[in-house]
Amino acid sequence: MKRQIALVSILMFLLSSVPAHAGVPLDTVRVEVNKVLDVLRDPALKSESAKEIKKERLRSIYKDMFNEAEFSRRTLARNWSLLNPDQQKEFTHLFEQVLEKAYIDKILSYTNEKVVYAKEAPLSENQVEVQTRIVTSSKEISISYRMILKDGTWKVYDVVVENVSLVLNYRTQFNEILAKNSPEKLLEILRKKVKEQ
Amino acid sequence: MRLYFFHFYPNKILMRVICTKKLFVLVAVFFAFLAAGCAHNVNRPLPLGQQEVASPSQSVLPSSGEEQPLQEEEPVTIADPLEPFNRAMYLFNDKFYFWLLKPVAQGYSTVVPEGARISVENFFFNVEFPIRFVNYLLQADLRDAATELGRFGVNTTIGIAGFFDPASSKVFDLPKQDTDMGLTLASYGIGHGFYIDWPVLGPSSPRDTIGKAGDYFLYLDSYISPWYVSLGIRGYEEVNATSLAIGDYESLKEAALDPYVALRDAYVQHRQKGIRGRKSEPEPVNPQTE
Repeated sequence: MKRQIALVSILMFLLSSVPAHAGVPLDTVRVEVNKVLDVLRDPALKSESAKEIKKERLRSIYKDMFNEAEFSRRTLARNWSLLNPDQQKEFTHLFEQVLEKAYIDKILSYTNEKVVYAKEAPLSENQVEVQTRIVTSSKEISISYRMILKDGTWKVYDVVVENVSLVLNYRTQFNEILAKNSPEKLLEILRKKVKEQ
Repeated sequence: MRLYFFHFYPNKILMRVICTKKLFVLVAVFFAFLAAGCAHNVNRPLPLGQQEVASPSQSVLPSSGEEQPLQEEEPVTIADPLEPFNRAMYLFNDKFYFWLLKPVAQGYSTVVPEGARISVENFFFNVEFPIRFVNYLLQADLRDAATELGRFGVNTTIGIAGFFDPASSKVFDLPKQDTDMGLTLASYGIGHGFYIDWPVLGPSSPRDTIGKAGDYFLYLDSYISPWYVSLGIRGYEEVNATSLAIGDYESLKEAALDPYVALRDAYVQHRQKGIRGRKSEPEPVNPQTE
């Protein structure tokens, strides 16, 4: 009897500790991507002058959807510790700006593309890849969102476009820069990049 | 939009018919394959050559504060002993794109509507069927070889000489797929070797270059004479494809701190996933280094 109680309580414990995430990451992506599409298709924001409003809204969606700290930390991987806390902060900020400037116009140019939410593939117990496809008139682009569960919410830490991971692509570049230069030099390059864009 | 995914499945009867057909083709191909006697047993890709191997095992990542260490996928890198040459070629290709290919493709796209350009692309893709079919066979991937054969049959007939792609529609459910001899060699365990950025042809490696050379013999346009007509057709194919992809290279370049490294990495990652994606089993994360 005692054993049974023990067994049941262990079972209960196991069940309660299983993260209830079935379908949650995919739904999160769906909700956020739909918000983006709503902004892009909003007839009230059609004019050229409304571009800044659109950008502002996209920025706030990005903040909801992405774990920025995780995103930039992963691009540096083991080199992260080479940066002191101030540098890490600046790096995160600059990296975000590089991304925004590089991709926001591209995103704004989308209008009537269809998004297909294909599936969720687990990567580890708290990481999942949500696979989607953007269907344009001429082609299909596969976009996967790698998400991590932190503090009860799923957030994106990497985007994989046509099999190319953004995090890994930047990591290769940062690795190569840091192999020959100091972290300060890396920040300098980033600052310059942000200014140029 | 939400329902789109569920609409993807054709009704059950059709599905069964297609499955039976697929099975028939599969069996037919299997016997053809046996008869051909090139029974390479490539169930598992061998670890790739050491050049492709990333830096040593398990990155020990610093955990800042309460954050746990990251379970990381190591980036796949490629040796680049020819970097000075490659960087020069990268610059050449960059100019080639912006000064020649892009303006021509833009001019072309103002004259030819998008629908027609997509059809042209479909046509060329269909003509390249032998490359994919033979390589799937060489990879002992009978399932994909059968799909290829089915796609070719459907698109050449119902798709009017390949200008349309009804095979990937819901009715036939034979989605577009791609492979080449570089990936076949990779599936035999041959690594990239190192990075080469060829003028005009772009990112490659000794392995993929040999693959390209092998595939050349499976291109139908390679057999068109005189040679300049064949070359012209390839050039046209390239312009047409570029006209549908304007902006891709630009955004890669715009987002990169070092576009040369970004492109090299995108190439390696893309190829790597081509090998991984086809096999159900993932590559070993840390293949043996020397």
